[in-house]
Order: sequence, then C-alpha cells, then structure tokens
Amino acid sequence: MIKYLLKRIFWMVPLLVGISLVSFLIMHLAPGDITTTEASFNPKASEESRQKLREIYNLDKPVIVQYGLWLKRMATLDFGTSFATHQRPVFWQTIDAQGNVSKGMIQDALPITLLINVVSLALIIATALPLGIVSALTQNRVPDRAITMFVFIGFAIPGFWLALMLMYWTGVVHDWLPISGLHSLGYENMSWFAKISDTLRHIFLPVFISSLGGLAGISLFVRNGMLDVLHQDYITTARAKGLPENTVIYGHALRNALLPLITILGLSIPGLIGGSVIAESIFAIPGMGKLFYDAVLMRDFPVIMGILTIGSALTLIGNLLADVAYAWADPRVRRGIAQ
Amino acid sequence: MPAATFSRCFSGRYITAGIFTLLLLASCSKAPATNAVNFDSPYPPESGGTLIDAMTGEPSGLIAMLAGESAASAIAANIFNSLLKYDKNLELQGELAQSWDVSADQQTITFHLKPGMKWADDTPLTSADVLFTWRLVTDDKTRTPYSADYKLVVRAETPDALTFRVSYRQPYAPALDTWASLHILPQHLLQGQDINTTAFARRPVGSHYYKLQDWRNGERISLVRNPYATQGPARINRLVSRFIPDNAAQFLELLADNIDVMNLDPIKYARIFPARPDLNKKIALYKELGNNYTYLGFNLKHKPFDDIRVRQAINYAIDKQELIDGVLLGLGVPVASPYKPGTRWSNPNLHPYPYDPQKALALLKQAGFEDHDGDGILDRDGKPLAFEMVTNQNKQREMSAVLIQRRLKEIGIDSKIRILEWASFVGRYIKTGDFDVVVLGWSLSLDPDQYGIWHSSQQAPGQFNFIGYSNPHVDKLLEQGRLELNPEKRMKIYHEFAQILLKDSPVVYLYAGYGLPAIHKRVKGIDNPAPPAGIGHNSYEWYIPQPLRRNEISVQ
Amino acid sequence: MKKVLANPLALAGFAIIAAILLLALFAPLIAPFDPNAIDVKAILLSPSPQHLMGTDGLGRDVFSRMLFGARISLLVGIVAVGIATAIGVVLGAVSGYYRGWVDVAIMRLVDVMLSIPTFFLILAVIAFLTPSIWNIMIVIGLTSWMGVTRLVRAEFLSLRGREFVMASQTLGATDGRLIFRHLLPNSLTPIIVSSVLGVASAVLVESGLSFLGLGVQAPQASWGNILTDGKEYIQFAWWLSLFPGLAILITVLGYNLLGEGLRDALDPRSSNATSKK
Repeated sequence: MIKYLLKRIFWMVPLLVGISLVSFLIMHLAPGDITTTEASFNPKASEESRQKLREIYNLDKPVIVQYGLWLKRMATLDFGTSFATHQRPVFWQTIDAQGNVSKGMIQDALPITLLINVVSLALIIATALPLGIVSALTQNRVPDRAITMFVFIGFAIPGFWLALMLMYWTGVVHDWLPISGLHSLGYENMSWFAKISDTLRHIFLPVFISSLGGLAGISLFVRNGMLDVLHQDYITTARAKGLPENTVIYGHALRNALLPLITILGLSIPGLIGGSVIAESIFAIPGMGKLFYDAVLMRDFPVIMGILTIGSALTLIGNLLADVAYAWADPRVRRGIAQ
Repeated sequence: MPAATFSRCFSGRYITAGIFTLLLLASCSKAPATNAVNFDSPYPPESGGTLIDAMTGEPSGLIAMLAGESAASAIAANIFNSLLKYDKNLELQGELAQSWDVSADQQTITFHLKPGMKWADDTPLTSADVLFTWRLVTDDKTRTPYSADYKLVVRAETPDALTFRVSYRQPYAPALDTWASLHILPQHLLQGQDINTTAFARRPVGSHYYKLQDWRNGERISLVRNPYATQGPARINRLVSRFIPDNAAQFLELLADNIDVMNLDPIKYARIFPARPDLNKKIALYKELGNNYTYLGFNLKHKPFDDIRVRQAINYAIDKQELIDGVLLGLGVPVASPYKPGTRWSNPNLHPYPYDPQKALALLKQAGFEDHDGDGILDRDGKPLAFEMVTNQNKQREMSAVLIQRRLKEIGIDSKIRILEWASFVGRYIKTGDFDVVVLGWSLSLDPDQYGIWHSSQQAPGQFNFIGYSNPHVDKLLEQGRLELNPEKRMKIYHEFAQILLKDSPVVYLYAGYGLPAIHKRVKGIDNPAPPAGIGHNSYEWYIPQPLRRNEISVQ
Repeated sequence: MKKVLANPLALAGFAIIAAILLLALFAPLIAPFDPNAIDVKAILLSPSPQHLMGTDGLGRDVFSRMLFGARISLLVGIVAVGIATAIGVVLGAVSGYYRGWVDVAIMRLVDVMLSIPTFFLILAVIAFLTPSIWNIMIVIGLTSWMGVTRLVRAEFLSLRGREFVMASQTLGATDGRLIFRHLLPNSLTPIIVSSVLGVASAVLVESGLSFLGLGVQAPQASWGNILTDGKEYIQFAWWLSLFPGLAILITVLGYNLLGEGLRDALDPRSSNATSKK
C-alpha cells in the first residue's frame, strides 16, 4: 500500500508537467493572441505597436521556447502577470515600491467560487442524503417515485433558463432577492452581520441553480447504493440476528452504501475551484469560471495556464485521495490490487 | 417504516432551510415603492444623486493609451481631459485649451491652456503635463498601439506654463482630432514610474468631472464628483458602473430599477417597450446615430471578387431596406459612404445601390456567370458561384448574414455562413487574408481620414486594408485629405473619395444602426432628440431630483 | 425487454423518447413551414393557429424550427455518446482486464483528461476547427469518455474476482473469449445506463454551448440556440423560451427515466430484477 502511494506521488510531478505541456500546446492551437482582440481592431492602432507587444510577451518565439520560459518561471512558483488586465499578477498579489497592492486575479476569483461551491456541496449533501435514503427505504412506492421525478426534473432543466425565470420572479416581480452581482452598493458600510446576509442573499440563486444538477446525481447514487447494500446477505443476517431496524439501516447499510460517496467527494475536489461559466455569466459573479472564460477569449495565456495548473494539481491530488480512500475502505478492491 | 427514521432524515434538511429563510427575511429591507411617483413631472436642476449603469465588460485599466477596449475608454472619459473636445454638433472646441492657433504654414499648432486648472489632488495642471503625456505616448517603451499619430510631431515645446506648441513635418489635417483623443496624464504622479505596470491604472487621478472612488474587481467601479474639475462641477454626485456580462440579466436589473441606463436592442426598443405602459412610466427611450456602419467586405484578392461587375451585382442583389427592417426593426439608416449620414463628410449626393436582382443577374451575365448546368446556381467555366461569409459572434451581423444569404440564393449565388469568436476570426481569417467575404462593422473616429482602411500601402498582415483595395486615385485623395486643413476643401476631397468607393464597390454598405439607450426618467436634463454628438454630450448637466432618487442605503 | 417495460420509470422514459424520435424523424413531413423561411413582416408573433409556437426574431416559424432542432439535438446527443462509449468501453475493458502498467497508463490518461476543463477543450477545438455540428459532437464525445472508462474498469475489476471467471480460466478460456463472452455482457448494464444518461447530458451541454455562442450556429436551428435567442425576452416573447426549454426538459427527463428504469430492471443486484443467483 505504501509503495503504491509513493509510486503515485512520485509520478505526479512528471504528470503535471505533461498535462501543462499538453494544455500549453492546445492553448496555442487556437488562432489569434492578445493582440488580435476586439480592442486592438481599431484603425488607429498600428501594426508595429502590436508587433512590439508580441515581442514583449514572447509570442513571436516558437511554442516550445515559450513553454520553456513559462516552465522556468513556474519552477519558482511565479505564475506571471496577465496579458489582458494591465499586468495584474495571475495568482497572488504584488506590492510595488510605493506600497500599492495589486491583487492577484486568482486570489480575487477563487474565494468566491469556493464559497459558492462549498455551500452548494453542503446543500447537495444535506438534501441528497435524506432524499436518497427515503427513496431507498420506500422503494417503488409513492415517496420514491415523487422524489425521483423531482430530482430528475431538477437535473433536466437547462440551468440558464431556470436562472432567468427565477431572477425575474424573485427580483423583478417581487423584491425578495438581488438579481445579479455579489454585493450590494454600500456593502463597505454594512455591519458584519449585514455583510454576511447580503452575500448570502446574492449567492442564494447561484447556489440553488448550481446544486440542482448535483442533487439528482448524488441522491440517486445514495438511493442505489443503499438498495445495493440492503439486498445483500449480511443485511438479512443482521435483521435475522434481531438487531433494531435503525441499527441495521444506519449502522450497517448506510455506512457501506456511503463508501462510494467518499470517492465522489474526492473526485469533486478539483471541481470545487471550477466555477460554472454560465451561472457566473448570468449572475455577474466574478469567479473562476468567468475568469477562465474571459482569459480564453482574450488569449490571456498566463492566466489560462495558471488556472489549468492549479486545476490539474488539485485533480491529481483529489484522485489520489479518492482512490486511496476507496481502496482502504473496500476490501474487495484491495484484494484485487494486491493480486 | 419506523417514525423515528423519518424525523432523523428530515431534521438536517429543515434546519438548513430554516436558517436560509431566517437570514432572508431578516435582510429583506424593501426600497420604497416607486409605483406611485410620477417620473414625468418637471423638476428644477439640482446637485447630488447616483447614476447606475451597466457594462458587459470590465476595463483592464484606466489609462486609455494602454487600454483600448470600450469599457476602459467609457470610464476613463469621465476622469481625464484632453486638450480639445467635440461639442454637440461635432465641432472641435477647447477642453483644457481655451483656444488654439494654426500657423500660416499649417505645420504648427499652438494651444493656449485655461489658467488656474487643477488635478483632482489639488495640484496645478500645466502645459508640462501635456508635454509629459506626449512624451509618454511616443515613448517606444510604452505599450500603446496609438502612438503613430503623435509620433508625427517633430517638435513639442512648452514656452510657458499655459502654452503647448507642436510642429509637424508637413500639414496633418487629422492632428486636431488626435489632440481631442489624448487623455492628459499628471506628470507629478507618473514621473519615474513604468507606465505599463503602474498602479495608477487602477487608481487614477484625473482632472475631469469625476474621480475614482472605488473599484471592486469584477463587480463595479464607482466614480464620485471631482471638486477640482477643470470644466466645472457636474450635477450628479456619483456614477456607478456595474459589470453585468449578460444582457438578459441587465434588462432584468433595469426592470427592477437597479440600474438607470442600458443600451437596448431593436426588439426591446420597438416591440417590448411599446407594449408595456408600466415600463414607459419610469423609463425613457432615446435614439442616437453613432459613428459606425456595418458592411459586407469582399476579399479583392480572391476571384471572382476582383471583377467589379460581380461586386456591383452582389450589391444590387442585397435588399438593404430589408436588412434595416428585419435586423434593426427600422431603427437604422442606409449608408452610401463610409461616413456618418448628416455630417459634413458624408456626401449627400450619393445613394446606396437599390435592390435590383435583375440588374444583378445582367451584370453577372456580363461577367460570364450564368446557370449553364441548370442546377439553380450560377457558374462560370464549370465553377459555381459559391463562397463563404465569415463573421463574428454578433447577433445583428449573424441575422444580416442570414438575410443576405437568402437574397443571394434567389439569384443563384450559393453562400455559406461561418460564425467565429473574435480572436479566432481575426487570427485565422483576417490576418491571413484567407477569407472570401466578411460581414463586419467599422466604428470610426470623428476625423474623416481613413488612410489606414483604404490606402493600398496598408495591406500587410495585421493592417486594416485586409480586403486588399488598391486604387491609385483613391490613394492620392487619401494622401491629400491628410494635408488639407481647410474644411471646405477637405470635404470635397472626401466626397470624391466616397463617390469612387461607391462605384468600385469593394464593400457593400449595409446600414448604420441607431444606438438605443434606455434611461430611467429620474435622470433629467437629457437633450432629446439627440444632437449629432449623441445624448451623452452634456451628461455633466444631467441631474436627479431629490424626490426621485432611489433609497441609496438599501439599493442592490 | 419485458422486465424493462414492466418498470414504470423505464416505460415512461421510453414513451417520451419514442415520441420525440418520431417527431424528429418525420420533421419534414410534419413541419408546416421551412425552418429557414424568413419573413421580415412576421417577426416575433405570439403563438396562433398559423404559427403554433409563434415566430422568432427573423419571422421564422418556431414550431418548424423546433422539429428540425429536435433532429440536431438528438443527433448531437447520440453521436457524442456513441463516440464516448466506444472509447470508454475499449479503454476500460483493456484497463480492467490486463491491469498492470496498461491499467496505470490508461488511468493516468483519464486523470489528464479529467484535469483539463471540458469547456476549454471544446473552445480550443471548436475555435480551431470551426463550430460545425460534427465538431461539436466529436468534441463532446472526446471529453466525456472518462466516466465510462472508470465504470467499465470497475466492473471488470470486481467481476474478475468472481468464481465464474476463475472457473473459465481453469477450463482454458482465452482472453478474448473471457472479455467478450463473460465480462462485457455482465458489464453491459452500467454501460447502457451510462450511455442513456450520457445522451441526456449531451443535450444539456449543447444548450450550454449555445448560451456561450459555441453551439450549433445560425442559420441552423437547435433547441439550444432557439432558447438562447429568446433569453432576453422571457417575459415578452415567452414562446421563444418556453417551448425549447420544455423540450429540453422533457427529453432529458425521458432519457434519465429510461436510464434509471433500465438500471432498476436490469441490474442483477437490484431488488426489481430477478436474482441471478
């Protein structure tokens, strides 16, 4: 087991380098660069100055050379500065000689996305667990069918359509929730309690929309996991032994059914930093999804690579954790690996 | 099933829901109902209030010479002054300069600055700042794409604190326009700094009506009135620009009274608003013609577009009024020259090619295109008349392309439409010259010089004569137009230029669409109907009467 | 089959899918208008006997566009999933059966693919190759095979330990025989279920791509782009949003019901199916 772990960790670094190389190449596949954006399509803008810009950003060098330069910088954990946003640092803030702080782009966007995703995940688990359990325990009867339908419909609705309808209902027809944005005007002057409630009100709809999709998957997953387990022999044995029903369900069945949930959670760690481009666009939330989308459209290579690097690192770690957790928990797989 | 199980299941969920609801209710401070107010009543001008508008993009920085995107220039225009500006009739007027003289040889311009001007930090604004800005924009180390015009100045000097003089090697007619577009920057704050990385771009100090109050990354920029404004005080105290990328969300915010200004599209303007009297009670619609037009451009280096008969035929085959009716719902005007209709530079004697499919077919027949094989598509030497129209992701251009495709199909021309996102579009098709036909638009400066777009020397990859137009007579006119400072003579040059262009038909002018701002009726003082400069020309005079202001504490 | 039809979920799903497939198949016969017939005088008309679902911004009949759009949306879903399943089954089977370094290599490949965000890949490919329907299908397919691979691999891994495999091996069965006669058929259920669910997902992805402007391009109609065209006029031209939105909802629902119903009916470990023991 330890050997397996060490081997996985050892391979992570070359894997990351490989992923970054592939990403870099793909990124350069798409035609155009920062100098071909809409802003520079201005007859007053001279081609010489654009060419100069390309030289400054090393865009005129061969792709492999550009990659090498990037890799060299990354070796010192220097994520570089953005092409498109007046030299803002990609990852963490820098402070210049006068003491002016220039906030990092990922530094600004990541907490917002994390907040929405974590709250979303919490909401999903808090809702999906009970729904899945009830569904499994009332299999094929009315509660099961109703829950299944509800959860399916939630998954099947195109997100942006539902978002716009809810925004209209809660923001225009009634004045219950803000329509878009993250903070109200005057946020800076609010008390800490008002600030929390203001932020919660702004993320309520985005979180709701983001959770609908996951809700269906997880609650079904829990339901099917429970069903799988409930029909195993050892459950019948436990009941035959005379154990109370609660112990059977929560002590044995649930615990075994939830094992795969650990895998799911492990796999969703990288997803935590990936904001939904669509939700963030509709709700005007400046998160990682929007940051990435804008960076791709503007061909802001440092930002794109920065986000991809962090994302792939987290994915590899998350996968490793998930595989390890599952292997440790399920004796069958452990046996399969050991063979 | 045991009851105990149920209660255990549901408790967790209910608690979460409960907390959410409580927080919601606790923070639901509703703004006072605005339904009862009559927004049409007249009010005398007064000072104060907040104007909120929405932008789809966020500025990358507020130094206009570095950041070219429209979001940056829109906000920077409230913060910085230039030497000159355009008045409501698009005539040049002094902003920082109270007057200017052009020397007899037309090669030297002397600007006389207004006395007693200050920066927003109470430092005097003098000609030294202007000279500093000029040095900055012409410095090779400055990453600006706009240096070319300013590099034509061979000598710039400041005889005294209120005089700025520039000399050109030869008369340069667009010069004054270039001095109306250069934001003057403060020397005392930027001296010794690297303009490309300075924090000033996000914490600017200017001299115009507003100064930066707050920039919340990704959310909004707030400007507040500058008490030292060189042009006098603005009325509205605060301008907030919220970054809302999605148009549907922006419209909802407008409906909910959370923003005051929004640019509408024709459908909202002509179909939604007229059907909603409740909206018209609180929101007013305006119409202004911008300095832009949409066109269909031929790649003159690709056959058969090198043949003038083919180009003219396609021009006759396109029904431009249908485009205006269908795409713009009538909210646009036809154009016959690359200039804004109604201005001095636009030749009033030119008319767009009428919709005449018969004439188109006749011309194509002359060029050798007929339906020889009976398949419904015209052909010549066995090759069908088929091409690809490329455009970017712009709803109006897409719709125009679809309508054009249909009209072309009717006379036997087979066209396909390809839509791309912008950077790919430019990188893959425009720069390489690897396209047949494009549907694009030009957004132009107020100076009539269009050297960069039409002169035959501007055809290198990355330059703007990407359609490959080459006409020696037009080259001459464009060169002359740059040297002629007399407006009357200059006008004749460009009128002739437009006439040749119309006949050569290297592009098909499609239309010039109206800008359609919707502004909440609480904002008074708007010049309606819009003068040539647009309704924004006197935005500093707009005001929001006290009784109509939204409750700024609970505003969202 | 009888098992499937006995399951009410699967039945409902199947009915919905069949209905939509029929409508899509006979679209040219049913559609009252040419979906690309522009009528500048009939812009944004509300539903009427003549235009059952109203008209869009260029006066085109929405009902006709919806019918032809059904073809596109379903085609995109089915082909994309077909590609993803083909890749996933092959890689998963090889990975789960042979294990060893092949398994490691394939799983690392899965890791790489999972860490590059789907949207980014889609944008890059579409930007480079131009946004055509085929490119969209290929790209969605190429970015969604990872789940199938893991499923198939997991099935193979766990089946491998079962007695019947060891028995066959003792009797001298070849690798190919084992894979095709024994392991794959027993893994079929999760593959089928995941494919059906995958189609649902692909339909949603296409509508998401349309929102970003990267989906099926004008003038071709897809539910995603009709929905996106109407998103700014939800309160006014509600028919541009309601019908495609409902269509997507019902289709995705149908596929999900069918998928889950199949899982219930066919999975030997579920209580609905007759036990294989």
